[in-house]
Amino acid sequence: MSSARGSATRDEKLAGSVPAEAMIAGSPSAGERELERELLVNMGPQHPSTHGVLRVIVRLNGENVVECRPDIGYLHRCFEKICEEWNYLQIGALSDRNDYIASLANEFAYYTALERLVGIEVPERADFIRVIMAELQRISSHLVWYGTFALDLGATTPFLWAFREREVLLDLFEAATGARLTYNFFRPGGVRNDLPAGFDREVKKFLEVMEQRIGEYDKILTGNRIFVARTKGVATLTAAEAVAYGASGPTLRGSGVDWDLRRDAPYSVYDRFQFEVCTAPEGDCLARYHVRMNEIRQSIRIVRQALEGLPEGDFRGKTPKAIRPKGEVYMRTESPRGEIGVYLRGEGGPGPYRLKWRSPSFVHLQLLPLVGPRGLKVADLVAFIGSIDIVLGEVDR
Amino acid sequence: MGYLADKTVDVIRSTKSIGEGLGITFRNLFRPPITVQYPDERVKISSCFRGMPALLTNRETGELNCTACGICARACPLGIITMELGKDGKKRFPTSFSIDMSRCMVCNLCVEACPFEALGMSNRYELAETQHGSLVWDLDRLSRLGREHPASQVGQPARKGGEE
Repeated sequence: MSSARGSATRDEKLAGSVPAEAMIAGSPSAGERELERELLVNMGPQHPSTHGVLRVIVRLNGENVVECRPDIGYLHRCFEKICEEWNYLQIGALSDRNDYIASLANEFAYYTALERLVGIEVPERADFIRVIMAELQRISSHLVWYGTFALDLGATTPFLWAFREREVLLDLFEAATGARLTYNFFRPGGVRNDLPAGFDREVKKFLEVMEQRIGEYDKILTGNRIFVARTKGVATLTAAEAVAYGASGPTLRGSGVDWDLRRDAPYSVYDRFQFEVCTAPEGDCLARYHVRMNEIRQSIRIVRQALEGLPEGDFRGKTPKAIRPKGEVYMRTESPRGEIGVYLRGEGGPGPYRLKWRSPSFVHLQLLPLVGPRGLKVADLVAFIGSIDIVLGEVDR
Repeated sequence: MGYLADKTVDVIRSTKSIGEGLGITFRNLFRPPITVQYPDERVKISSCFRGMPALLTNRETGELNCTACGICARACPLGIITMELGKDGKKRFPTSFSIDMSRCMVCNLCVEACPFEALGMSNRYELAETQHGSLVWDLDRLSRLGREHPASQVGQPARKGGEE
């Protein structure tokens, strides 16, 4: 790229490591000759494979990625600052909009943190309803991932299949919460309303269908030689790296680390259910794929158990008239994407003094500069971004 | 020889899988479509579905339940509900009421805050307007919406649970 002679543009500086010689006008140096072979490409922000408005600045040598850096912030909307203005109930509705593919996982994290801060008891039934909804949400979130991941790699059928099943789930959510994407269903001390009549029957019907079809879903991709060639051994992440970079959720478990907050730091009533924590040791895109597919199966197990053991009682506990807590709390929960952390500090006002949101997608995106230069092709980069399952609403907040 | 046998098995297997795939496609030709021709047909929405908020009317007297107390306006995260209070002796009623539907996020918090069951979520979900100004819904349109559209079942039992 000869245009780099003389002065490096902002983008090149952002892409990093423009050799010093290249910035000085004069005879072509070794660094400049190197630059001539390289190409700076903007992937995104309006690229369909980047799952939203992610811009990746990629330095390419032929088709090989030399360096890549994510440029984020296109969806930034000051979530944490707005929270300092709003009251505790209103933030619940806003937290939905972080990870909009799995809204209830956000509400779960936020309200669990708030309840620990204020000291609100959650009735057993409410906890069970929460777990049922959160696990159904995990299934629907993984279905979106399954469809879009396959679509990124050029397979259209899984996308249509996944959205067919998700539609049934969204109808269930609509019946229980009244909305299809941003539910605003949890409340301090429970949930807004009880499950509608016949809900468990409909859920069981869905789970049966899902259980039958998940094998078929798995087979259409793992039985496809092209899919396996595109994912096996691609973008490998070792366990040590995954831990060092703060990866969590399926991305961490796909590197063979046996860690799941639902089992290892149980919140709500997760300690009452039998389920396996799915791991895969390889650390490549295929391993992350297997982990998520198995998690759908485990979520089906959890929902079944929760429906069996659903106790009678209140769906919303007693709450103080005015929620004006003092003190601080940090709460983490397992969302479909990884670990959501909520730091909440109240100073006696109607809203928090400070709220910090740790979103898994943001952390996972930082793996991109690490994994990119390891002999990845442009197409592999797409596979990797798909396999870590990022939601840009959560990255930028 | 082994190579040839492998190839033959491969060919037979591929032919079979193509046949299977086309079989599925063929079966689908006789299934009814699951798509809906949207503006002409509509999907059936749940009775719990919450669309945009509406002002509810007392069935017997035909008057609005609203007393213009302003609790919903304070509960609204976005502050898009405005109203003016009118008095007739002891009776209180809104002389004007508006919700800016260009900003409403349909969170149901105003409905839960209302102590008089004057607000409800209607099942109206088509919020597009041809003029910018008509995105702000006034008293007339909101009360007409409340009369014409059934209110969502969601949110009603919540108040009872919360205040015990």
